[in-house]
Amino acid sequence: MLLSLKWLREFVPYAGTAEELGATLTMLGLEMEELRRPYEDLADLLVGLVLERGPHPAADHLSVCKVDTGTEVLEIVCGAPNVGQGQYVAVAPAGARLPGGIRIRKARLRGVRSNGMICSERELGLSDEHGGIMVLRELAAGVLRPGQALTEALNLDTEVLDISVTPNRPDCLSVLGLAREVALACKLPLTLPALDREGVDCGGGGLEKLDLEVESGEISPFYQLRLIDRLKVRPAPAWMRWRLNACGQRPISNLVDVTNYVMLELGQPLHSFDFSRVRGGRVRVAPALEGEKLLTLDGQERILTSRDITIRDAEGPIGLAGVMGGAGTAIDESSTAVMLEGAVFDAASIYRTSRRLGLPSEAASRFAHGVDQAMTPFALERAALLIARLGEGRLGASPLTSALRPARAPALRLRKARAELLLGVPLEDSFCEETLRALGFAVQESGREEGSPVWTAVPPSYRPDIGGEADLVEELARVYGLDRIPEVIPRISRSLERAGLPESGHAFLTRVKNWASGAGLNETINYSFTGQEDLDFLGVKKDGRVGIVNPLSAEQGVLRPVLAPGLLQALRNNLAQGASGLRFFEAAAVFSADSGSPTGTGVREDYRLGFLLYGDRHAGAWPRKPEDAAYLDLKGLVEAFVSWLDLPEPEFVLSREAPRWLDQAAAVLVRGEYAGSLGRVKPELADAFHARKEVWLAELPLDKLRDLSAGSGLKFKALPLYPPVRRDITVIAPLGLESAALLKAIREARLEHLQEVFLLDLYAPEGSGERHLTYRLVFRHPERTLLDEEVDGIRNKAAKYLLENLKVRI
Amino acid sequence: MSLSVELENLAGQFEKELAATSSPEDLEALRVAFMGRKGRLAALMALLGQAPPEERPALGRRANEIKKLFQDLLEGRAAVLRRPAAAAEFFDPSLPGRLPAQGSLHPITLVMNEICALLERIGFEVVSGPEAETDFHNFTALNFPEEHPARAMQDTLYLGGDTLLRTHTSPVQVRAMLEYKKPPLAVIVPGKVYRRDSDLTHTPMFHQIEGLLVDKSVSLADLRGTLAYFARSLFGREVRTRFRPSFFPFTEVSAEVDISCILCGGKGHRGGENCRVCKGAGWLEILGSGMVHPNVFKAVGFDSECTGFAFGLGVERVAMLKYGIGDLRLLFENDVRFLAQFA
Repeated sequence: MLLSLKWLREFVPYAGTAEELGATLTMLGLEMEELRRPYEDLADLLVGLVLERGPHPAADHLSVCKVDTGTEVLEIVCGAPNVGQGQYVAVAPAGARLPGGIRIRKARLRGVRSNGMICSERELGLSDEHGGIMVLRELAAGVLRPGQALTEALNLDTEVLDISVTPNRPDCLSVLGLAREVALACKLPLTLPALDREGVDCGGGGLEKLDLEVESGEISPFYQLRLIDRLKVRPAPAWMRWRLNACGQRPISNLVDVTNYVMLELGQPLHSFDFSRVRGGRVRVAPALEGEKLLTLDGQERILTSRDITIRDAEGPIGLAGVMGGAGTAIDESSTAVMLEGAVFDAASIYRTSRRLGLPSEAASRFAHGVDQAMTPFALERAALLIARLGEGRLGASPLTSALRPARAPALRLRKARAELLLGVPLEDSFCEETLRALGFAVQESGREEGSPVWTAVPPSYRPDIGGEADLVEELARVYGLDRIPEVIPRISRSLERAGLPESGHAFLTRVKNWASGAGLNETINYSFTGQEDLDFLGVKKDGRVGIVNPLSAEQGVLRPVLAPGLLQALRNNLAQGASGLRFFEAAAVFSADSGSPTGTGVREDYRLGFLLYGDRHAGAWPRKPEDAAYLDLKGLVEAFVSWLDLPEPEFVLSREAPRWLDQAAAVLVRGEYAGSLGRVKPELADAFHARKEVWLAELPLDKLRDLSAGSGLKFKALPLYPPVRRDITVIAPLGLESAALLKAIREARLEHLQEVFLLDLYAPEGSGERHLTYRLVFRHPERTLLDEEVDGIRNKAAKYLLENLKVRI
Repeated sequence: MSLSVELENLAGQFEKELAATSSPEDLEALRVAFMGRKGRLAALMALLGQAPPEERPALGRRANEIKKLFQDLLEGRAAVLRRPAAAAEFFDPSLPGRLPAQGSLHPITLVMNEICALLERIGFEVVSGPEAETDFHNFTALNFPEEHPARAMQDTLYLGGDTLLRTHTSPVQVRAMLEYKKPPLAVIVPGKVYRRDSDLTHTPMFHQIEGLLVDKSVSLADLRGTLAYFARSLFGREVRTRFRPSFFPFTEVSAEVDISCILCGGKGHRGGENCRVCKGAGWLEILGSGMVHPNVFKAVGFDSECTGFAFGLGVERVAMLKYGIGDLRLLFENDVRFLAQFA
């Protein structure tokens, strides 16, 4: 809401500055977002009095004027035909800046010195008028003085506060509503504009024969029409145009501008119909017929539904109530009779219709928030008088009214004790009563509870937001000043029932993130949505995707079912910045459709941990060798993570379940159950993300791993008392035989006292079709030192077992 | 003196002289003196025949042990003497170290962790809820009327039917109250939220932290105290808070909370110019809060006479203020040069 300080002062004698007003309103809950100075670019302009107009010696169309600007008399060369002695004019003295940034300089025009410029309206940006200079006499309010600031002489709205009005305060979408708040806060009297009939012909008629029918009080509790005829359409007077301009409304004509003016002033949207185009002497307010069409003012054909409220004449709809008028009855230059509507419509219907049609007008917004029914007749009267005056027309003697439902005013209970409990401060009885009265409430003490008064308060008609005790407490708090309430750290009582519950999902996720950053990975946070095409590109299956109905763009059209698209996007962003090595992780939810989801949303959310490795294995350069991350780096991370969860060593198996965007991929099995996948992003896909090196990606289901690890906990194992004995065994195996198979065979050989076995070295002679794998066997006896000969025997048993069971050499 | 005592004395002398060696040459001389063919150990061993026959096996074993001991000690000392002297080679302490991989948490995670931790210290419990929500939890139960402009305050991304992406963390208030069934409860909810909005200062996904305290006599003074504690803990002891009346459908009294500008200290200017952080206002809007609306209690089956407060803040805004990040979009580009700064 744009509030002009000058306009406000027509309602309350506020003496402070615009900045102070902004601060006051802000602390009342009406935040000033910006202080605008719409006529700032006229600051250098002065009122001048033309003392003398003489001919220019060298040019017929120019004149030489002597102009009194208060402190001096300037000689100015002027080309306007209408300049004349005794006129008050707008002067830009040399050095002044005009709107648009032009600076006026001393100049010689055809040999005569000119010390400034006398301006036209267009040169001042006030209108398109450029037929001659602006003569101030007719335009200015009050007495003119040479040297006076032009903005002051024209009474321009130089300071306009942009106030952010919250949806609960529709009353403050008007100068009047904000003036009420200022009157309250500054204890000032409030004056409504006078309904001035002086000089207006109020003897018209015309609506007597009109048949008005409102279908129900539900759709329009109050509906009123006035007729003004014999009108002349012309521009509104300058003061009104300038004011509307300052308040963000484009002036159109006297008839239209008045409705906008009164809406801004009193908060009541009004609509003008061209009465000559209302057919059949009939006006109905009723729901539209399903599928019916209406050409609206903006030239669009709208298809209506039975949930839209229409204004109709004998033949059909002539307007969408509260949202936009129809083109058929629109006011234009030829209009001479205006049927002016002042009404209240069902707020929810207006909201629905304006949202559905994408027509968020100032009027619709006010109706949707709720207008003050009690103010409607006054606003209509004020607008009708203004239209009659400015259009030199004739106002009908009386309005045509349908008042089906009076405005509701609930009687609300307010317990002082409750207010004190909620606010945490003691309150004076008188403060409570006086505050509510000042806010327009009718207040009465209706009893006492435990020695503390209970009041009945009836809110004023302009406060539809007040519906209960809590709202009354808020009003008290707002006026008391929220900043005067003390600051106390609460004593939070906690229930023993919450003690010893399993670790929360959030706590687990936090631990996982800490582990991952400790493992040398950088956390990324990617959007939860991606594009259907991105998923198709990776080969993500189509079923189970959760689409967004109204996405901002196709690239954000679907919730991610896997972490891969986001991590790859992060890769792309970094490669564009020349990154040569990345070690990323993300721990976040992925989404899939699931009608049985426990949240009741039809969407299943699973938390996943994703790793992405690319390029440089190590941070920094020397002394490490430059090497690129490879499968074993990624696998090592997965192994370390699984081990950190106190789970047994996972298996890594080639699997058809591996995601389609990976090759050289493996599935992770923990206790035989699927627990994620890892591998290389297919080079042809990686290429699309501008990767020049291999991209390694893993995704692990966190919820699953957490369930698997539940109860495994840390357990201390006693340290061994006797030393281990180690034996190595080198197996020459054909390519295609996995290390895991060799290990499995060694374990199957049931070797006595074998404590652990691991790969010590790997060598693959080129072109041999074989690999040499050296395993270290560690033996230990819990109660004695093993003898060399004993251990040699066991090792030989292992070698024999391998030779017998696998196609290997030792 | 018995042979056995002489053997032990010999061991003592060996260790003493060993400690005095300072070069491989010294060490060789010592080896010859004690363990050479004509050395002192050999000399004692020669006397073995003179010992009583029943003592000979034990003495022989001990002599062998001592010989082994001398060998071990000589090897150990040799290793020490082989170490190069510091001055012998050029030692360059300025060469780059062998860096371990340095991971990092995202600044949003850092801020969320910090805020959760400081609120947990005064008794709040961290809970979470789904990001895909029902209209009931996100709006209706939070007293957003159907077809009311209040719903348009938050541009919603819909998933079809009654399901949407939560526009705030407040629906978890509803889930938490339904789960606890009755007061007291004190929870905080960190998480992702979504709105249909994208420009220089808005991203369609962002993060919030919600707080909710419900009990028998929670007051606005408690809310003010909690948020003052929060602001001071996060931004420093000198930071002040300011409460401005505002509107949220699910609170009544509602307030926006500002903190005094962390750059200019609330003066609005620095070095004769408007402060670039608060744009001259002296205050920074940081969160929304209020006393829980009785309709919310009604919706979850709580006694409407209980009282509570709720607050919610945008994590991105706090992270940007705290770390001096000027551009919101940096938070979601995952540029490693950005991320690595939070290690």
